[in-house]
Amino acid sequence: MLSLQVLVNGLLLGGVYGIMALGMSLIWGVMRIVNVAHGALIMLGAYHAFFTFTLLGWDPFLSLPVTIGVFFVLGYAIQRFLLNRIVRAQLFLTLLITFGLGVVIENLARIAWSSDLRQVTPAYQGAHFELYGINIPHVRLGVFLSAAVLSLLFLLLIERTKLGRAIRATSQELRAAQLSGVPVGHIYAVTFGLGTALAGAAGALWGMLFPITPTMGGPLTLKSFAVDVLGGLGTMMGPLVGGLVLGVIESFTATYVGPTYPNLLSFGLLVLILVFRPAGILGPRGLSG
Amino acid sequence: MDSKRRVLVAGAAAVCLALAVAPAVVSPFLVQFLINLFMLAAMAESWNIIGGFTGYASFGIAGFFGVGAYTTGVLLTAGHWPYPLALPAGGVFAMLLAALIGIAVLRLKGQYFAIATLGVTETMREVVYNLEITGGGSGLNLPMVQSPLPFFYLMFAVLLLSIAVNRRIATSRFGYGLIAIREDEDAASAMGIPTARYKTVAFALSGGLAGLVGGVFAYWITFVDPTEIFKVSWTLRTIIMAVFGGAGTVLGPVLGAAVLASIFEGLSAELVNFAELGSGIIIVVVVLFMPRGLFETVRRGELSFRHLLRQLDEYRA
Repeated sequence: MLSLQVLVNGLLLGGVYGIMALGMSLIWGVMRIVNVAHGALIMLGAYHAFFTFTLLGWDPFLSLPVTIGVFFVLGYAIQRFLLNRIVRAQLFLTLLITFGLGVVIENLARIAWSSDLRQVTPAYQGAHFELYGINIPHVRLGVFLSAAVLSLLFLLLIERTKLGRAIRATSQELRAAQLSGVPVGHIYAVTFGLGTALAGAAGALWGMLFPITPTMGGPLTLKSFAVDVLGGLGTMMGPLVGGLVLGVIESFTATYVGPTYPNLLSFGLLVLILVFRPAGILGPRGLSG
Repeated sequence: MDSKRRVLVAGAAAVCLALAVAPAVVSPFLVQFLINLFMLAAMAESWNIIGGFTGYASFGIAGFFGVGAYTTGVLLTAGHWPYPLALPAGGVFAMLLAALIGIAVLRLKGQYFAIATLGVTETMREVVYNLEITGGGSGLNLPMVQSPLPFFYLMFAVLLLSIAVNRRIATSRFGYGLIAIREDEDAASAMGIPTARYKTVAFALSGGLAGLVGGVFAYWITFVDPTEIFKVSWTLRTIIMAVFGGAGTVLGPVLGAAVLASIFEGLSAELVNFAELGSGIIIVVVVLFMPRGLFETVRRGELSFRHLLRQLDEYRA
């Protein structure tokens, strides 16, 4: 029974990993930018949920659409006014600039809100129910379901809308997309906006499970990347699968090996998979995967 | 030796001499600042071998820095080795480890390589965190040395060594091979350059030098813990200094370190809380306006407002 419980814990956590990594994968798939500021944006999402909850009394689940809207605009602006200027440069320049951006965001957050630990604690925080002897906390289930719904909506947007087609076209064949009248600068900004919106939502959900600090972003950037590499960087289904896989692996490691080992495992796995199977579990199939 | 070269050599000798006697004249605060500056410059020079000459954007320099620091630290405390042996042992161990890791990760290119090296660093941190001999998460205390002077000269020596290695590479067949790999790896391979071996050697040299810097740093600071020593910000400061000064040039990284370290130090003296914010802003601004680095920008005579603005549009979508 214990191992089934561990499995469920891992899957419930894996949902958030999935949408975290999905945003990063999208940005990489379309623009070939590894967004090192991704974790910092997740952190901002967590604070957004925290403040709308404590100051305005908004339920963190119900405020998700607001978070998504706000972060879409933020991401759109970042790409339009900053990253679009450097998007054609060598890779470490784009890595560096997003890193610099992450440092700026992290420090603004620290200066504005101090380094105190915070947590979003709605009234149903401790509530849970049992299903076939497995203990399922309401919050964790809610987080998982929200992540699942968001992923589904996102995939529909990419696969079934005109905007999604323009994004996929830009990703697959830049020149051809340009010639067919796709406004690339705008599509890039929309893409980054969507990636940032996912980061914001992921942060809001994360903040219900774990403490929020200004420096929480760094490891999350790397974890998102680990998930992407696990599932296949640049794909859309890959990160979702990778998220669940990593969630389960971490959950088992924490239970059976020791609570300080999950990070060792996920980062070690990241390196091993990069070296031995760089295409990931699902492999690269453009944005259509 | 032509006259220009003679001036350069004389200048370098004068700078070295001035720095060598500096601790006797300047304030203790300035001595600490200089040790720090030598350290950052030496790190930038070590990164330059793999990141600058070879064009492989390593994000793992903090890892080898940390491995050097820990190896030296553990040998010194648990192994009771004398420091003059423990320090080179740290460098050698970091170099061997870099060679081993290099064989695996150097098969990757671009972002994949960058992130793999970042992942390697995080893995190292987690390993150290879970080991007993390293003191785990609570860190490692090293014996105290009262005077900062030994560290001043040691760090200076490591910096000179790293410059010498870069200089040697820049004018050697090996160095031309590395540059060829940077410009076009397939072509380099077709020309008969043993790319895999060259890259591995470059990565190992870079890691070994960073390990030496770490070994000096650990004894100077007398305390190492995994979260601080393997911090990504070490890597990023190193890279931004090398890129700002001019990656792939011999002295560019030192120049970058000197300018940026002074700015960071000035910032943290005036506004402690805003220092890191300032460094983040500087990174963004440098990448936007001077992607080729200060060295190259000045050399091309492009350090004007007009050129900097034009730079802003060069890599536009």
